[in-house]
Amino acid sequence: MQFFGGSEISPSPPTPTTTTGNNAHMIYIFNRNGVCLLYREWNRPLHTLNPQQDHKLMFGLLFSLKSLAAKMDPTSADKGNLGVPQLPGQGCSFHSFRTNSYKLSFMETPSGIKFILVTNPRTSDLRETLKYIYNLYVEYVAKNPLYTPGTPIRCELFNTAVDQYVRSI
Amino acid sequence: MGREVSESCIDSLLTEVVSTYCNRFYANKPELAARRIEAIGYQVGHQLSERYTMERPRFSDHLEAIKFICKDFWFELFKKQIDNLKTNHRGTFVLQDNRFCWLTRMSIDQSPENGTSEELSIMADNKAMQSMHLYFPCGIIRGALSNLGIPCAVSADISNLPACSFVIRIKA
Repeated sequence: MQFFGGSEISPSPPTPTTTTGNNAHMIYIFNRNGVCLLYREWNRPLHTLNPQQDHKLMFGLLFSLKSLAAKMDPTSADKGNLGVPQLPGQGCSFHSFRTNSYKLSFMETPSGIKFILVTNPRTSDLRETLKYIYNLYVEYVAKNPLYTPGTPIRCELFNTAVDQYVRSI
Repeated sequence: MGREVSESCIDSLLTEVVSTYCNRFYANKPELAARRIEAIGYQVGHQLSERYTMERPRFSDHLEAIKFICKDFWFELFKKQIDNLKTNHRGTFVLQDNRFCWLTRMSIDQSPENGTSEELSIMADNKAMQSMHLYFPCGIIRGALSNLGIPCAVSADISNLPACSFVIRIKA
């Protein structure tokens, strides 16, 4: 499993899926300028980088992936140059990628807020989940009188709501 | 009665009113900002009570008027009634709303970030901001009651979010 494992059929490393009911590993929320608004982890055994580098790496990865996906789109005739930022909603956007040990799901809202959820590889399509988390964001963060847009999220209600919802995925 | 406005618009407008009065107009004078916001609430309450008591007979005593505020008036404003009313029968009433809608989304992070003194001052600031948001509803209640002929003073108490209590002291 360690050396030549790579096909879908090989057993993935044992994950305690039912003991804690926790399918999700981490969540990131970025705004359109790359500021990491929220990072929460529930199950992350391995940390390779310090938090700032980790956030920058994640944002850069998604930026490049989106750009690449839009450029390689076979159905649309008009494509911008590779690397040019596109308006949220323009071009085609990728939803998720899956490896043998995790699945990363992504959603970008029209206002440029990016939601990234890393879960175990056997979860199904999480677009509805991400939409629900966006709803939680609108209710508890965007409408919170004490929150300044563009700053890291420090709202307890939002944190508990996200924790509770993610536990039920 | 015809036309409606989106609730999110009202919420955002009130948030902006408080933030503008506190941070721009009366930046270092929170008492003045509070008084202005309460005065705006007073006007609003005055006019709303006129509208909502159009078809009703006059109130027989103070308690009836307060009960009107708790039930019909609060229902028109917030789609729910006051959850608990207490009185000492000597002119003081406490109205408790267990889930005041303008406070439901307000929350601050309690986790310790840096040294304790900084965190304490941040929490004190946040408490002050939260209480700023209550001057408007206090003004509404005061305006409504004064239009019904009952001069009073109203204050709010948020010892446990999202429930809050409004204390009405009727001026003898």
